[in-house]
Amino acid sequence: MMNIYNLGIWVEMGHKADEMSIMEALSVSLVGICVVLAELALLAVLIILLSKVLRVFTKKKTADNTAPVNAAPAQAPAGVPLPAGQSAGSLDLVDVDESTAAVIMAIVSNESGIPLNRLAFKSIKLMEEK
Amino acid sequence: MILEVLKGIWEGSGIQAIIGDMMWQNVVMILVSFVFLYLAIGKKFEPLLLVPIAFGILLANMPDTGLMADPLNLMHAEGVVVDPNEVWYHTGVLRLIYCGVKSSIFPCLIFLGIGAMTDFGPLLANPISLLLGAAAQLGIYVAFVVAIVLGFSPNEAASIAIIGGADGPTAILVASKLAGHLLAPIALAAYSYMALIPLIQPPIMKLLTTEKERKVEMKQLREVSKTEKIIFPIAVFTIVALILPDAAPLIGFLMLGNLFKECGVTERLSDTAQNALTNIVTIMLGVTVGATANGIDFLKWNTIKIVVLGLMAFCFSTVGGLLLGKLLYIITGGKINPLIGSAGVSAVPMAARVSQTEGRKYNPTNFLLMHAMGPNVAGVIGSAVAAGFLLLMFN
Repeated sequence: MMNIYNLGIWVEMGHKADEMSIMEALSVSLVGICVVLAELALLAVLIILLSKVLRVFTKKKTADNTAPVNAAPAQAPAGVPLPAGQSAGSLDLVDVDESTAAVIMAIVSNESGIPLNRLAFKSIKLMEEK
Repeated sequence: MILEVLKGIWEGSGIQAIIGDMMWQNVVMILVSFVFLYLAIGKKFEPLLLVPIAFGILLANMPDTGLMADPLNLMHAEGVVVDPNEVWYHTGVLRLIYCGVKSSIFPCLIFLGIGAMTDFGPLLANPISLLLGAAAQLGIYVAFVVAIVLGFSPNEAASIAIIGGADGPTAILVASKLAGHLLAPIALAAYSYMALIPLIQPPIMKLLTTEKERKVEMKQLREVSKTEKIIFPIAVFTIVALILPDAAPLIGFLMLGNLFKECGVTERLSDTAQNALTNIVTIMLGVTVGATANGIDFLKWNTIKIVVLGLMAFCFSTVGGLLLGKLLYIITGGKINPLIGSAGVSAVPMAARVSQTEGRKYNPTNFLLMHAMGPNVAGVIGSAVAAGFLLLMFN
């Protein structure tokens, strides 16, 4: 149980609460930065492991779901929209950078009320002002 | 009779107090509050924080208002009643609200709001960001050593050093626990430097990186699943609380707020944490932190030292992030732009915006913002862990 009158490790180690030499300060700092690095590195490893485990599960699930579809590809209905958040195909950009193209596609989707996964863009071209 | 009443009114007025017993330090602080109000309202310089802080300074330095009166010595004797004839409701209203700072309630609630506003997606997509967030805490430890050299006690040095974490609530929490008498200059320095990040960081970024490094375009981040986003806050809190329990209050509230946002079934709670609650707590935190800046306690040589040490801590934290960014640039064969390292100094999302702006100066087609958000939110976790370590050592 945590003691509310805990004076901290520094005092518990037998040091005076209001004194610290430069060498002691350097040691505390070194330990401090190592603790932060180690703890965040541990979290990074955890995230990597978590994403790998989840990916394995997702792949397994996807494989189970797609197996019958693979068996009868000819019967797949044409024009079925992609799952939300996914896109496919290629897009020709003429004098337009990717970010501008992304903005244009988002505007078209918003204005038309059609989700992006149901829209197909073939090319986006900069028109010269006359 | 009328003259006696008028005399009584005069003697009880603030005008008489200004002429009679007001200290010059209070006058200076009132002028400082006017300058801050001008900066906040006229120049739109961090107005959401600076207006309440500046008004708090004004409230605390006006004579005879009693807003920060502390007859029970609540703030100096750990709650021990020193005068049995006094009662709690004689305590100044701002002093009572300030109990929310002293007891860590406000910093934790602010962290709840930050958690509800934060998207950890970029961090989950690129976990190496966490190392950048850790390296950008370097300034905390450099400032700690220098503060010890300058004669501060370990508790004071730790409180000053945490300014390098570039995180206002964390700085307030650590300072209120370890060195309450330094809270005002520490909080003001922390928030001021956070607002000045666009001025402080770019020269250091330019100094420590080459043009080739600044031009690096990073590949698009992978999509992060909802399951990962839900598991992340629970896992982070569990690990941090087990290793460093002193960091649990901050990390706990941060991750609870984030769980509200990501779980998808607590939208009302997430909305309240992001907006109403954060706004309410910001008002109370800002006003009371400002009110601790009483001229007599504030205008001291130590305040100048704290301001200088805070700036140094900020600069070294930026250096730490950039140096690790450069190391990762070398290790990954040029796939990581070192400019995202400077975003590890917390201060969400200002530091990430600076990385984006600086990156685009050298490569107009470069979009570093989402890449920089990873180290940026990692910096929030890093500074909370660093605070936990300092509290464990000295609280």
